[in-house]
Amino acid sequence: MSLRGLSPRFWVAAGIVAFVVLVGVLGPLILRTDPDTTVGGLYDKPQCCGKLLLGTDNEGQSVLINLVYGTRTSLIVGLIAGLIATAIGLFVGLVSGYRGGWIDDVLSAITNVGLAIPAIVVIILVSVSLPKRNIYTLAVVIGLTAWFWVARSVRAQSSSVREREHIDVAKLSGAGFWSILARDVLPYLLSYVVMAAVLQISSAILFESTLSLLGLGPGDATSLGTMLYWAIAWGSVRTGAWWAFVPPTLMLTLIVFGLLLLQSSLNEVFNPRLRRGRAARRRMVTQVTEPETVGAAGLLTGTEPR
Amino acid sequence: MTNDSDSPADPAQWLASRRSFLTIGGLAATGVILGVGAAGCGTAKTGNTSGTTGKGRPGASGDTLFVAGFQWGPPKTFNPLAASPDWPTAQFQSQLIYETLLRFDERDGSLHPGLAKGIESPDDHTMKLALQDGTKWSDGTDLTADDVVFTFGLGKTAAVTYSTVWNYLDSVTAVDARTVQFKLKATPFNPGFVKNFLCATYIVPKAVFSQLAGDKVTSDPNLKPVGSGPFLMDKYDQTQVNLKRNDSYWGTAVWGKPPMSTINHPIFKSNNDGDLKLESGDVDVSQQFTAQIWKMWEAGKPVSTWMKKKPYHLPGNLPLLIFNLGRKGLDNVKVRQAIAYAIDYPNIATTAMSDYSVPANASLIVPTGYESKFYNADAVAADGWKYDKAKAIDILENELKAKKGSDGIYVLPDGTKLGGWKLITPTGWTDWNTTCQIVAKSAKEVGIGITTDFPQFPTMFAALQNGNFDVAMFNYTGVGPASPWIRFRDALDNRGVPAVGKTAFWNYNRFTDPEAPALLDAAAGAKTDADAKAAYDKLDAIYRKNIPVIPLMYRPLEFFEFNQSNWTNFPTEENPYAPPMWQGAGIEWLFKIKKVGS
Repeated sequence: MSLRGLSPRFWVAAGIVAFVVLVGVLGPLILRTDPDTTVGGLYDKPQCCGKLLLGTDNEGQSVLINLVYGTRTSLIVGLIAGLIATAIGLFVGLVSGYRGGWIDDVLSAITNVGLAIPAIVVIILVSVSLPKRNIYTLAVVIGLTAWFWVARSVRAQSSSVREREHIDVAKLSGAGFWSILARDVLPYLLSYVVMAAVLQISSAILFESTLSLLGLGPGDATSLGTMLYWAIAWGSVRTGAWWAFVPPTLMLTLIVFGLLLLQSSLNEVFNPRLRRGRAARRRMVTQVTEPETVGAAGLLTGTEPR
Repeated sequence: MTNDSDSPADPAQWLASRRSFLTIGGLAATGVILGVGAAGCGTAKTGNTSGTTGKGRPGASGDTLFVAGFQWGPPKTFNPLAASPDWPTAQFQSQLIYETLLRFDERDGSLHPGLAKGIESPDDHTMKLALQDGTKWSDGTDLTADDVVFTFGLGKTAAVTYSTVWNYLDSVTAVDARTVQFKLKATPFNPGFVKNFLCATYIVPKAVFSQLAGDKVTSDPNLKPVGSGPFLMDKYDQTQVNLKRNDSYWGTAVWGKPPMSTINHPIFKSNNDGDLKLESGDVDVSQQFTAQIWKMWEAGKPVSTWMKKKPYHLPGNLPLLIFNLGRKGLDNVKVRQAIAYAIDYPNIATTAMSDYSVPANASLIVPTGYESKFYNADAVAADGWKYDKAKAIDILENELKAKKGSDGIYVLPDGTKLGGWKLITPTGWTDWNTTCQIVAKSAKEVGIGITTDFPQFPTMFAALQNGNFDVAMFNYTGVGPASPWIRFRDALDNRGVPAVGKTAFWNYNRFTDPEAPALLDAAAGAKTDADAKAAYDKLDAIYRKNIPVIPLMYRPLEFFEFNQSNWTNFPTEENPYAPPMWQGAGIEWLFKIKKVGS
């Protein structure tokens, strides 16, 4: 698709996400200082310029350096957990929706049970009992507990794709089960899966910061949630050390807001019914017949596209 | 306002328009909310001003002393003999309901009168204590020497906190109705330890506790305590403990009448809640760790501590890094020495301890206050350690011949990796948690792998007592009548300490040294301070040679922070009429503080 057709909302979202990624990826490379380094005293005020731009935290470490490393941690956890959750959800959803029968019954039952249990409770219990908490184990725990709703919606869609004529054609031409899943079912869901992945990443980032805020964060790395945990524990609100809690809060808000905006603008791109303005009208005319957009859009709005 | 096609000029139609109605309604509602909000702000402001202008709180709350920092959950037992009684009946808390015979003053180590007038020692092995005149229980009956004998007797028959005193006592007898005599054992001879328990043991009424059979003595919740102190239990729930004044308190003749009619301990969920209440003047005195307390008086609040300059509090204890000497790697004293050099003590003092401490020294003796007479600064400088990363690395590379692995962690020549150790301390103990972070970070910087873990207190403490830990941060005994002896005992004496896997009450890492027990006995029985110091010098040297534990910082025995918007005349360095304590002799300020404007 052409870049011209993308809405301003998409560009804003992409800009925010790109900024956050730059901070998380380039920040540590530019500042080149271990976030554990002591650079000052207890809650030193921000001062121009360099490491003390955002002051120091309760251990005399630079808030700025912790912020960029924390952003990186959040992104790593979000990415790993989001991908794990999306992959599992996609696989379970595809198989159960397309295959149907008792496999569907079993997988759906598991999914429904999983959906009924609040993920945060499971995550807290599992992370308390972990022998070693680092960002990767946390990411895996979050990923393993967050795939249920992806599975459920992917299942709904793949079971609807199953009824289409082209599947019959594929079957008649002798394609195997996995081949049909990968070539004839999955492409119809891809746009949805991309959006689901974005949502999973953003919720994984929030889960990680929630855990860290409760003091269950990774033991080996700075994260935005851990920064907030210490800021609360040390009464930074009371002592007026705003630089300890405002930057991580803003950064978290920015990441999650950017990802949600990206998701909703992608939704607009993929779903012609949600398009607005001139671009929308133009695209309605020129691209409405593309199979992937029609498929996804129809499924998203819950109607059968014909 | 609206783009309706309806004509706004026609009043009938105007009223009839549903959208207009909603608009007006919305505006009106907004107006009301704004008005209420503004009024709310106004009220809050007025409240603040009255706080600082010194009128105090109005009504009954003005006659109440609000305290914080002792009780963190709903009270379950007010039995002072229970394993963990609730405020104010736990050992070393304010003597509001139960009282001790004598009261310790941490400033000079002196013993102030409590239920007893003082100690008479006819000979080295006898201590005679005469009760004050007219001591009474809150039910009106007399508190006599019988009650004291009964209380100490429970130490033999029940598992209570002071049972160990019988290791050093032959007998406790009533000479007459108002005099008690303690006969000390000749071996082991330890008058300091006995005095410690004269100051630590709440005397309980025989009439009440003799009714309780067997384990009931410690398990009975005693929710309507009959005590001898100046306050009575009024009510308690999950949000507060409320005490009311005992107007027929026997001690009125000695100390006077407390100016407050009630004492209230609100139960907060976290340090933060209590800190905010202290700042606003809703809590008068607090025992919480409150970081950067000076920010409160810089903001104009009438808040203060014992001294308004560093270190703000009197040091009374030294929280320690306790090594498990059975762990491979940590069993090597050179490794422990490298860690001792690696730790950034100045950073712990300024950040984790919020400048309430000076950097810790290589000694088990608190270098200021009452214990300073035993502190040997020259020896500490000569064979102690201080923060020196280069020296730590030098020990690792040249003395231990360790090689750095690919993960930046040193490995000893025999293949032992100097890492993978977990440092535990209870969750929510903010300053300790941060200290552990700094220790872990300091160790990592020289190439030793320590990670932090903060379990709930009971879990952590059980692991510590059973020896099921790698490295832990915890206290040994603070300044008291038996210190520093008892702290050396805690760290170096293995007598009476069960094997790993069973519950130990001191020496959690089961350190042994062939010379320590004899030296401890010599220090305990020393007739003069000079004899005692000679023994302590040797003990401190043994300690520095073996490094079973490392002091991380100094901490007050109790935090003592007050807001003078309702009560004034709290003791301070300039007005030192009482020690900045809650326990022991700290009760004395309770009688002397004054209501604002009175």
